[in-house]
Amino acid sequence: MQDTQHNSSEGLGPPDAPRLGRLAVWARARAGWIGLTLVSLVLALITGSAVWWLSQSSGALTQPSRAARDAGVQELTRAWSVPGQQAAYPTGAAGRMVLLPDEWARSQPGHQGSVWYRFLFDATPDAGTEPLAVHIERACSAVEVHLNGQLLYRSGRLREPVTRQCYRPHLVPLPAALMLARDNQLDLKVAGYPLERVTARERAGGLAGVKVGPMPVLRSLHEAQVFWTSTVSQVLGGVLLVLGAFALGLAWVRRLPYLVYFGLLTIGWALASGRFWGEEWPVPNAAVELFVAMVFAPMAGLAVKFLLGYAGDARLVIRGVDWRRRIVWALWAQCLLFPLSVLVVGESLLFLVTRVWFGLFAVELFAAITYFLWVAGRGGRVEFWLMSVALGAVAAVVGIELAFQFGWLQRWGVHITHLVMPLLYAAVAVRLIQVYARALQTAEGARAQLEKRVQEISIEIERNFTQIAELRVEQIAERERKRIAADLHDDLGAKLLTIVHTSDNDRISTLAREALEEMRLSVRGLTGRPMVLSDALADWRSEVVSRLGQAGIECEWRNPNDTIEEPLSSRTYVQTTRIVREAVSNIIKHSAASHVIISVDVRLTQHDFVLVIQDNGRGIPLELDGRLDRGHGMTTMKHRAKQLSGQCLVESGPGFGTVIRLTLPLEIASAQQLRTHGAPGGAAPASMEVHTR
Amino acid sequence: MKKILLLEDLPEIRVWLKTLAFQVFPGAQISEASRIHDALELVNAMRFDVAMVDLGLPDGSGVEVVQALRDKQPDTQSVVVTIHDDDEHLFPALQAGAFGYLLKEQSREQLSEQLHRISQGEPPLSPSIARRVIQYFTAQARLQPAMQPDTVTPHVQLTDRENEVLLRVAKGFTLPEIGQQLNLSRHTIADYVKQIYRKLNVSSRAEAALEAQRLGLFRR
Repeated sequence: MQDTQHNSSEGLGPPDAPRLGRLAVWARARAGWIGLTLVSLVLALITGSAVWWLSQSSGALTQPSRAARDAGVQELTRAWSVPGQQAAYPTGAAGRMVLLPDEWARSQPGHQGSVWYRFLFDATPDAGTEPLAVHIERACSAVEVHLNGQLLYRSGRLREPVTRQCYRPHLVPLPAALMLARDNQLDLKVAGYPLERVTARERAGGLAGVKVGPMPVLRSLHEAQVFWTSTVSQVLGGVLLVLGAFALGLAWVRRLPYLVYFGLLTIGWALASGRFWGEEWPVPNAAVELFVAMVFAPMAGLAVKFLLGYAGDARLVIRGVDWRRRIVWALWAQCLLFPLSVLVVGESLLFLVTRVWFGLFAVELFAAITYFLWVAGRGGRVEFWLMSVALGAVAAVVGIELAFQFGWLQRWGVHITHLVMPLLYAAVAVRLIQVYARALQTAEGARAQLEKRVQEISIEIERNFTQIAELRVEQIAERERKRIAADLHDDLGAKLLTIVHTSDNDRISTLAREALEEMRLSVRGLTGRPMVLSDALADWRSEVVSRLGQAGIECEWRNPNDTIEEPLSSRTYVQTTRIVREAVSNIIKHSAASHVIISVDVRLTQHDFVLVIQDNGRGIPLELDGRLDRGHGMTTMKHRAKQLSGQCLVESGPGFGTVIRLTLPLEIASAQQLRTHGAPGGAAPASMEVHTR
Repeated sequence: MKKILLLEDLPEIRVWLKTLAFQVFPGAQISEASRIHDALELVNAMRFDVAMVDLGLPDGSGVEVVQALRDKQPDTQSVVVTIHDDDEHLFPALQAGAFGYLLKEQSREQLSEQLHRISQGEPPLSPSIARRVIQYFTAQARLQPAMQPDTVTPHVQLTDRENEVLLRVAKGFTLPEIGQQLNLSRHTIADYVKQIYRKLNVSSRAEAALEAQRLGLFRR
């Protein structure tokens, strides 16, 4: 009992539970199945021993203490017994001396009806002031008390059907007026049934524990006994009723069949053992006994079903055969066969038949517990330990009970077995509720997590929305730039073009053409996407080579061999295009060169690129002040290079050509920009756009 | 006697282009239009050998006319005459079936030279256009496996030689240079370029048809 409670309270601590489960797994891993079985058996043995010890020592509760004996309580252990239905003690009849406790099953087997007992006792002189009383611990089933021939007390009906009071002690005051100084005759008439006609030895006829002593002392003894035999049972019965109802409610809410079984089992046990029953039954004793015993068949079935269901009965399908169904059928059949077998063999063998059946129930229960232990041990479940303890407790209880029923064990008064079972139920119920509570907690946790996730997602959605809004702003800006560019082309471009092609003045048309080119480059700087250096070099090469080729000048372009993925902003591209264009124009117009070498060098470590344009022309003539000719646009080229944080060096002298060395930085920051605009692969969507427009 | 369609909204430029056309195609019969609407009417009414089409027009883009010509008169050489030199404007026109492009601000000599070459079957190809074409076909090749097998779109692929030419143009080599490098005649190179333009147009039309089909499915 102690162990059971200990275990369940340990199970209540949430962090302990997985550890216990791990312990089972560890035990299995270290010592195999045998080790686990041993651990389980040791646990069961400890529990069983504890129950046994409690059972043995519980007798002391109802034994008169030394203090009580000192206070003048005398236990009457010898009596003359005479079987008979007479209204008064048959003085003349042949009786015999019996020693209490007297069990009819031993002293007069098969006797049914009443037995007279005569005790002789002396009034103790030192207890003179206190009123005397007699206390009968057990008189089964009903008793009449006579003192010196006078009827004092009748507990119930002594004729068929006899009132059932086997579990109840009796306290009868002895009036002082009837008392003699010596040899008081205390006659007890006990009515009861033979062992064969009842289903439990507790309800077989007999008499035990007759004490005479001062009223107050005996009353306290009586109250203690009533408390232990009836009140505790009733309280536990009430608790079990509540637990059972709770389990049923839970089963209804959660749709768990094994909880239904547990609830019904608990309620059934509470009703069967709770001592709520009336003592007066207007039906024959055999019917009542049969009814009480019959209850145990469905209860054994419920217990088995609960254990299988709670363990998980999926393993009961063996090689395609569904044993679950067979078990259910067997359990149902058992409920029917039990009363049938009793009816067949007859009332006189009631006790024997029920013993056999109870033995069978015990075997079924142990089988179910073993199955449960097997499953729980496999899965490393915490219930393994609870059920190990339960196994021990049930084994002890059943052992004690069977030993008692078969008469190997003499014991009256408190039946510890009746207390252990409810506690076991309580422990299991606590565990079930705990499992439910944990499931509830998990569900709550999951819900909280879900809420958190929803919140996260909504935050993400908001962020995405902001991003989309930003993107939209960018798109609008882009569209606006395009609109401006289109306007420039359509208005300014058209007008400049008209000038180019209609002016008679060559200079004006050239100027207009240059202005047009400038405008286009500007627009490109405004709307153009950043590009890769290699592509820019290709564009320049194509333009330079074809222009020089058309002018009849030989051209040699030296490119770096590998592709350079460095980004180039459209601004740099446009400005560099202008510089290169200007330089080529100068060569064509002024240099009279026949050969041009253009070399490009990309210096990734210094993060710049160098473009050298070298011709073999006549060079640029020096002005008087030693500076290069402004008419060749050198200043503009230098200025543009400076704007791009680069430089443009011109070396020239009459007769040995011109070298223009242009050094420009590569951009780093715009790499990101390039990627977002996605140069490769961007063509397809753009073309689609055109088609759908 | 060549029949020429001239679509240009600015009167002065139109006059100037007309002179240019007469210079290149002496004795040609030139039909003028200043709006897309008029040009489309002309396309329906008669056949042309050459069409000179401006892109930015008051009632839309000249690409429409290029497309109409491609559909109804596949033998007509459409030449885009524009102020825009960037691939953003030119590429759609080429996809629609334009056979070449002229930049308006160039001098008369340059323009007549180029127009002459185009009419002789030697269209120009700039590095940026070449890059766009490469990108386009790469994207098509990537999309191809994703398309359903039952769609009856011919998968247009460039030959290795065409690819080679494209790549070299994209790197900045001029067409005569590439001819020298590959040891090919000017005409062969021009044929490759023509094939590239044709395939771009065919593939684009198939893609457009597929797109229309897809939209139709969605609408159903």
